[in-house]
Amino acid sequence: MGLLRKIRTTGRVAEPAPPRPEAEQPLAAGELRGSVQVRCVDAGSCNGCEIEIAAAFNPLYDAERYGARLVASPRHADVALVTGPVTRNMAEPLRRTVAAMGEPKLVVAVGDCAIDCGEFAGGYGVEGAVADVLPVDLAVPGCPPEPDQIVAALRRVTGR
Amino acid sequence: MSVIPAALAAAAVLAGAGALAGIVLPYRLRIPAVGVLTAGVGVGGGTAGVAALGGSGWAGTFPGVLPLAGAAAAVDALAGLFIAVAGAVVAAVAVYGIGYAAGHGPHGLGSRTAQAVLPPFALTLVLVPVAASVSTFLALWELMALGSLLLVLAEHRERASVRQAGVWYAVMTHLGLVLLLAGLALFAAGAGGETFTALRAGAHTVPPAVRGLVFVLVALAFTSKAGALPLHAWLPRAHPEAPSPVSALMSAAMVNLGIYGLVRTGLDLLGGGPAWWWLGLIAVGGTSAVYGILQAAMASDLKRLLAYSTSENMGLVLIGVGASGLFAAYGDRPLAALALCAALLHVVNHSAFKALLFCAAGSVLRSTGLRDLDRLGGLRSRMPVTAAFFAVAALGAVALPPGNGFISEWLLLQSLIHGLAVPGVAVAVVLPLSVALIALSAGIAAAAFVKALGVGFFARPRSDRAASAEEAPILMLAGMGLLGAACAALALVPGLLGGSLDRAVGATGLPGGGAVSGGGLEVRLTGISAALSPVWVVAALTVALMAAVGLPRLYGRRRRRVNARLWDCGGGAPTPRMAYTATSFAEPLQRVFDDVLAPEQDLDVTPVRESAYLVERVRFQRRVSDRIEHRLYEPVLRALNTAGQSARRLAGGSVHRYLGYGFAGLVFLLLALAVGW
Repeated sequence: MGLLRKIRTTGRVAEPAPPRPEAEQPLAAGELRGSVQVRCVDAGSCNGCEIEIAAAFNPLYDAERYGARLVASPRHADVALVTGPVTRNMAEPLRRTVAAMGEPKLVVAVGDCAIDCGEFAGGYGVEGAVADVLPVDLAVPGCPPEPDQIVAALRRVTGR
Repeated sequence: MSVIPAALAAAAVLAGAGALAGIVLPYRLRIPAVGVLTAGVGVGGGTAGVAALGGSGWAGTFPGVLPLAGAAAAVDALAGLFIAVAGAVVAAVAVYGIGYAAGHGPHGLGSRTAQAVLPPFALTLVLVPVAASVSTFLALWELMALGSLLLVLAEHRERASVRQAGVWYAVMTHLGLVLLLAGLALFAAGAGGETFTALRAGAHTVPPAVRGLVFVLVALAFTSKAGALPLHAWLPRAHPEAPSPVSALMSAAMVNLGIYGLVRTGLDLLGGGPAWWWLGLIAVGGTSAVYGILQAAMASDLKRLLAYSTSENMGLVLIGVGASGLFAAYGDRPLAALALCAALLHVVNHSAFKALLFCAAGSVLRSTGLRDLDRLGGLRSRMPVTAAFFAVAALGAVALPPGNGFISEWLLLQSLIHGLAVPGVAVAVVLPLSVALIALSAGIAAAAFVKALGVGFFARPRSDRAASAEEAPILMLAGMGLLGAACAALALVPGLLGGSLDRAVGATGLPGGGAVSGGGLEVRLTGISAALSPVWVVAALTVALMAAVGLPRLYGRRRRRVNARLWDCGGGAPTPRMAYTATSFAEPLQRVFDDVLAPEQDLDVTPVRESAYLVERVRFQRRVSDRIEHRLYEPVLRALNTAGQSARRLAGGSVHRYLGYGFAGLVFLLLALAVGW
């Protein structure tokens, strides 16, 4: 009963939905028709971006209300949410992960590191940015990007 | 001259010739000659059995064969059923055995001794049901036990465990013989004659207490032969260690004779008895069924798994026999006939699928040298025909449609469920309980055989020897083909056996009169309104399967097919070591039945020398041992050992003392004679 009471007394905490982002939908996203399954891949991140991604799916930002949902396997996923500079050890697993996803698929690079290696550029274990390893459809800049930026990027994919 | 004695005589002559061929011929000729002659013994026995099932009978006496009483023989439909089953199994396994022994070299099953013993052993399997007097029966019974013992020991040079199994088997089978001898001698003394006719006629003159004692002694001996608890310990030892054709013969033909003896003595010669006999039998059967299949589900040795499954199936048969006696004791004879019918049909079905299972396991063993399921795997692609035969037989063993075991278990359940109309508190408690036990054992059997088939034959090979397995030679496949055809026939058209089963049941004095009838396509139970048409079941299953596979293909959205790499979480490809093993598959079940199985666990942590907190080596061992065996046998063995040790003090080595013993013994004897008699 405690849980039910908590639900009743807490009510809805999600912030009011901001207006739909103006930017156009990536090409492949149209086929998904508003339902997007997301697989996160940490290719060598400092885990800052992971915390923000987790926040993007919390009750406050609630990315799921726009049709994006986290899944546990690339076999179920339409979008790979890649964070961090791609380290040498993670380059091949990242390629395999994206290869394991069904068509149509999109790759979203989250955070400055994923876009241009950020702080870690030139490190001995860094292979390069995500775009050096895979074709990237969408990038979310920031170190780390704020949850509403991530939500905005996902809304571009879902189109909702 | 009628068919039965001619066929039996032919079988005997062929067995003699086979034994001679085994001794005389050189290695290359020995195996095919003995195999063909043994197959002839099987065909002869099968012919006699089928003739007896067809309704003809035969009886004869041979005064000179055994000292004092002579030998007596008689064949009725009940004996005919067991003769026919034994004959069919012998014929098919003999064909298989030629291929099996040929590649093995002139030792093991190919050795002179083993090849010379094989045909007479096959003959005794056929002849035990023919015996019609106590002495004939016991003589044949003992010959059968000795023959099988020698064959179990065939590979004793290769593994020390064979010798140990041989000792267990020898001791336990002779313990059974002693019980049998005591029981039947008591019975014969009470009834005033030792031929079965005299026993049958005089059974009602024996006082009830003696009858009860006779039944208990005889039932202990026969259930021990059938591999039921608590005297089952020989079976999971001897069956795996014997060469595979011998395991097949023992598991599919020899254990049946325990059931035959029980039905013959309990229902026929003693003419039934009070309810407690049969309640006891049902208890033994139910416990064996569940305990046997639980141990089978735990076993990772393929042949040990099959041996324990024999224990289970014989337990189910014993439930049927017990229910039959129970119903007869309460006067419901049609239901009794139905229960016995179910039990006998299960004997036939079990023989078919268990012989095939042991033969398939033998092919695997011959090709890979492995019995350990944890090291097998991937055999489906290397040995496709053997794998297919194993699958067919496993389907029979799990008692699900369309396997052949399903029909007999369905009959058994029908008879037990309808038995609730029989009055009595004990019946009202025992019957639902047995239904539950049968259902439980069928469920665990499914797990056990999914394990055997899935871990043994599917997935990827877990060792080099499994990876380089080769398909069995053509003669072994032919033998398995015969058994596979028998399984399929029993699964599809068991109705053809209806008349024969009725006659076999009728031979025990129960009214056979159509407890089971029906043409080729259907099994109808006349006493209660129930019918089953296995062909339609199979047809419906096939249609359902085709619909499940075909409809999505027809109506599903067509998509582009991409051959993608197996998803391995981005890491390296999974190795065979990551696959389910037999042990890991059984682990959840072992947890569920933890209290029953009481696995022994051994954790040994060795720290490095410098610090107790740093571990150098961890050794973990878990063993599921036969708990009943531990609890029951070890104290007895320990007590015997202690008695023997303390008796050594009597023999101190002094000649004077030994002379004194002799003198004291003589004085005691003379005193006893003078005073007592």
